[in-house]
Amino acid sequence: MVEKILLAVLVPLFAFLVGIFLEGFKRKMVARIQRRYGPPLIQPLLDIIKLLSKKDNISHGLMFDLGPVIALSGSILTVFFIPTPGFKLLSASGDLVALLYIMVIGSLGMALGAGESGNPNASIGIARALTLMLGYDLPFVIALSTVILKFDTTNLYEIVAAQSDLYWGAFLMPITAVVAFIATYGAMGEHPFEVVVAPQEVATGPMVEYGGKHLGFLMIDHAFHIYIELALFTDLFLGGASNLGYFFLKIFGLHILLTFFDTVYPRFRIENAVRFFWRWPTVFALIGLLIVMIGG
Amino acid sequence: MNLSILTLLLTPFVGGILAYLGGLIHRSVRFAFAFLFSLLTIVLVAGYYGSKIDSLIYGRLFGSLLVLQMNSLSWLLAIVISTIFLMSTLFSIPEMEETPHVNAYYFELFFLEGTMLGVVLAGDLLTFFVFWEMMSWVSYFLVIKGTKESSQAGYKYIIMSLVGADAALIGLTLVYLKTQSFVFVNISSMLSSQSPAFIISVFALFAINFLIKAAIMPLHTWLPDAYSEAPSPVSSILSGVLEKIGVYGLFFFVFVIFGMNLFKGIIPNVFGDSLIFVVLQWMAGLSILFGTFLAILQEDAKRILAYSTIAQVGYIVLGLSLNSTLGVAGGLLQLVNHAIFKSLLFFVVGGIIYRTGTKNLSELGGLIKKMPVSFISMLLGIIALAGIPPLNGFAPKWMIYQALIQKKSVLLLTIALIGGTGSFLYVYRLIHSIFLGTLPEKYDNVKEVPLLMQIPMIFLALLTIIFGLFPGIPLTAIAKVQEFIGMTPIRFTLTGFPQGSALSTLNIVKISGTLVGAFAFAFLLFVSLPKTRRVSQYDNYAAGQVVTKYTKYNYSFGFYSFFRDIMNPIFKLSADEIYTEFTKFMRVLGDHIRRVYTGGLETYVSYIVVIMAVIFAFVVLGGRIW
Amino acid sequence: MDKEIEQGYNEILESLRKRSLWILHYCTGCGAIELPPTMTSRYDMGRFGIVPFVTPRQSDILIVTGYVNIKTLRRIITSYEQMLDPKYVIGFGSCSINGGIYWDSHSVIKKLDSYMPVDLYIAGCMPRPEAIIHSFKHLMELIDTGKADGYRRYKENYDFYRKNQRKVLGKWR
Repeated sequence: MVEKILLAVLVPLFAFLVGIFLEGFKRKMVARIQRRYGPPLIQPLLDIIKLLSKKDNISHGLMFDLGPVIALSGSILTVFFIPTPGFKLLSASGDLVALLYIMVIGSLGMALGAGESGNPNASIGIARALTLMLGYDLPFVIALSTVILKFDTTNLYEIVAAQSDLYWGAFLMPITAVVAFIATYGAMGEHPFEVVVAPQEVATGPMVEYGGKHLGFLMIDHAFHIYIELALFTDLFLGGASNLGYFFLKIFGLHILLTFFDTVYPRFRIENAVRFFWRWPTVFALIGLLIVMIGG
Repeated sequence: MNLSILTLLLTPFVGGILAYLGGLIHRSVRFAFAFLFSLLTIVLVAGYYGSKIDSLIYGRLFGSLLVLQMNSLSWLLAIVISTIFLMSTLFSIPEMEETPHVNAYYFELFFLEGTMLGVVLAGDLLTFFVFWEMMSWVSYFLVIKGTKESSQAGYKYIIMSLVGADAALIGLTLVYLKTQSFVFVNISSMLSSQSPAFIISVFALFAINFLIKAAIMPLHTWLPDAYSEAPSPVSSILSGVLEKIGVYGLFFFVFVIFGMNLFKGIIPNVFGDSLIFVVLQWMAGLSILFGTFLAILQEDAKRILAYSTIAQVGYIVLGLSLNSTLGVAGGLLQLVNHAIFKSLLFFVVGGIIYRTGTKNLSELGGLIKKMPVSFISMLLGIIALAGIPPLNGFAPKWMIYQALIQKKSVLLLTIALIGGTGSFLYVYRLIHSIFLGTLPEKYDNVKEVPLLMQIPMIFLALLTIIFGLFPGIPLTAIAKVQEFIGMTPIRFTLTGFPQGSALSTLNIVKISGTLVGAFAFAFLLFVSLPKTRRVSQYDNYAAGQVVTKYTKYNYSFGFYSFFRDIMNPIFKLSADEIYTEFTKFMRVLGDHIRRVYTGGLETYVSYIVVIMAVIFAFVVLGGRIW
Repeated sequence: MDKEIEQGYNEILESLRKRSLWILHYCTGCGAIELPPTMTSRYDMGRFGIVPFVTPRQSDILIVTGYVNIKTLRRIITSYEQMLDPKYVIGFGSCSINGGIYWDSHSVIKKLDSYMPVDLYIAGCMPRPEAIIHSFKHLMELIDTGKADGYRRYKENYDFYRKNQRKVLGKWR
């Protein structure tokens, strides 16, 4: 029992620390690519401490307050359902299909909170976020279907177990893995898919009225979000890991790859972003699906 | 002789007459009768819980028995019907008070309930058809009691219904001529000796009727108009139960009357499935995809719900046509749960219209401060509609996805999942434009809806939570239905699905428990930090500009306009336009024929009568068609 | 004892907080042209945790870059009041100190300090990026010693500031 409670605390903590480290590392890495010195590694943590300790916080209503809270709790819930080495408490309570819907809970909370701020920039940001979601979901869902078809199960732990001994999803179905990586990349909202936040267009979109502890919560949520997206990809295509160290290394590698793209791209318009996802990634996802359907 | 089915069937009719007569005395008498009799119907239906087939032979016509019967499938439908009708009756009391002909409204409302019960309780084709036709007409009279445009919408509705009903009438006649019997139980055995072409044509004739009522693409065009222009309590009945009657009819005919054995030899198998099912699956898939995409672009609250009904009923048909244990159970569960959350949403929107007088989303906003009960009801409704755990929309969708994975129909799985994602877009639009955003100054004095409107909302909202956390409750009844239609009943626990019932296990209570724990942690962290200060909605970021009440600072018109740009090439194809062109052509034709016939509705009906007469003559004179 | 712990806690918090200061990306006069080099590779203020942010709700520092005419003053005050405590104002260039070359102008305010509490001035026309970086370092010191208390002064002397604002802006809200 004590062990279970300890795990229930440690797993989100691990996720948070990984997320916050990756965020700090990314800022340093982007700075180096741009030939800057860059902020210290713990800068995101300092930002969060600063935001949480603001002496004054504003609110536009109850949903505005609850928005970041639901976002964070949704993220923590999702972390529990993503296979992490050494953690199996909830493996029987949900599967990949359920996970797709569990991941939405947090976004819904944030959308409601941002909506209540009454700022049109926030509403536009949310409208863009949802439309973009429809965009990257199409190739992503096809890729997931391919994975399910390949391993013939929807249980995440069984999918991870089926990829032991270097029988990684990325080696068995390389095209699908690339497509899923692009979709994951879009889900993380990095350039060129940074249409939701887009500071120059919609003033950070959903976050426009958020400051102080609300924004601090959203930044914690963002750290979780980085972990969730990359860990899910790792579990589905990179074979999970046997211990936390390897798991972290795989996520770290993915994140470095992702940061290279993020640094050099400008930003799509929302229409172009959705059209992009519905064009080549979808076509290649279908090709990957066809290969698995024929090859078995 | 056991007359209890007859009592059950007659209760709503008696209620309607008494409510009408009571209304002539005083309106409180009318309310009392309306409430009592809708409650009585539920009680009578509930009394049948768990009982096996109960039937009653009540007459004899054309040498065939006329039968009423109650089985577990009709019980499921009947309990949903009577519950939604009770809620709708309560909601109607404030809503319809000021309208003219309010007595007639209750009369028709109860007759609609009676005829619907008649359809699901019918044990023979003739009873089925008579009640079906009455149902169409009574619902038409109810639809045209709505907004100014409702008469046009109702016209469209009744025309399409008539086309379907006449198709069914031809089918019924053909069956009778061949078998000399209307009774359901006899038909299957007697049809088995007929030629395959005959069976398929009869089935197709009935299927057209049912698909029109269930508004499956491309036969959906009557639905958005009728749903959005009808009075709100009627909309919730139409969407909550009337559409389900179409689905019920379709699958009652497929699984029970015709039976799978009949189709087996006749219809070729495609992708390991009977062709009928493949066609139905893809029609349902189309409904999901385009219903969702069209709902995203609507500017009118009730139209969003109407299009989303098309999509959600698509899930029902998809689940049922998968013809596997998990799929059929998922479809039936979606049938029950969709009735709950869609009626709830129609009630909330009805309440908004009642208080603000508009259903145009760009004129609303910020009502969360004024109508908290409505807001929470709608929040629960949209979470359920979007299929997000732990509310009741999640379990059926999960089951349907699992069934699709079991069948390895990956493309349909993709369509269904994309439909799920698309539903987030329109539900957010709905709640955002009504309840979030800036409150326009003209709604400063808007109050929460009256208590009688709140009761149905709260009751249905509670049901979404209970059925969401414990899908085992409705699944108990659904497993009985599966036994009745001769299928392996689904395995389930109170809170989810055990090992072996699907590809994976599910425990909704554990998911929601973890969510509550995470929420408690986040909430405690939130309140332990420095306090928040409430600011006015005009104290808002506008790049330094001062926002006042004269500034229109709200984003609600053309919410997904960029989505329209993306989808423009596809939306040029419109089923509605094909029908409109056809109508125009028929009008021109009618202008020429008008010398013989009088114009208007009768003209259209007359065509059908003539066609039927020709077929009749052909059958009677020639003796056989095939 | 409790008080000491609280004070210690606050000191630690302040020393952490000063390492993450976000600027409101809002530029008034010509001085804004000196900010891009300060942000980018050559001077890189990001290494002190100082980054530009978009909305006042998210930001800690308001830099008034250059002259402020009366129209702009209204926006600046609105933005300043929308920022969350603790918040700091940096007056940038000689225009914000005494009007600079706009001393004679009818539409430019001369002394920013009369309308909102300024924690720190950077003298010069224009101040170089080195000066800006130096001012940030100095602001951090002020935060450390508790001298950067403009937001408190604004609350205490609200009537004074409001009166001065009214004088030039009239009754504007």
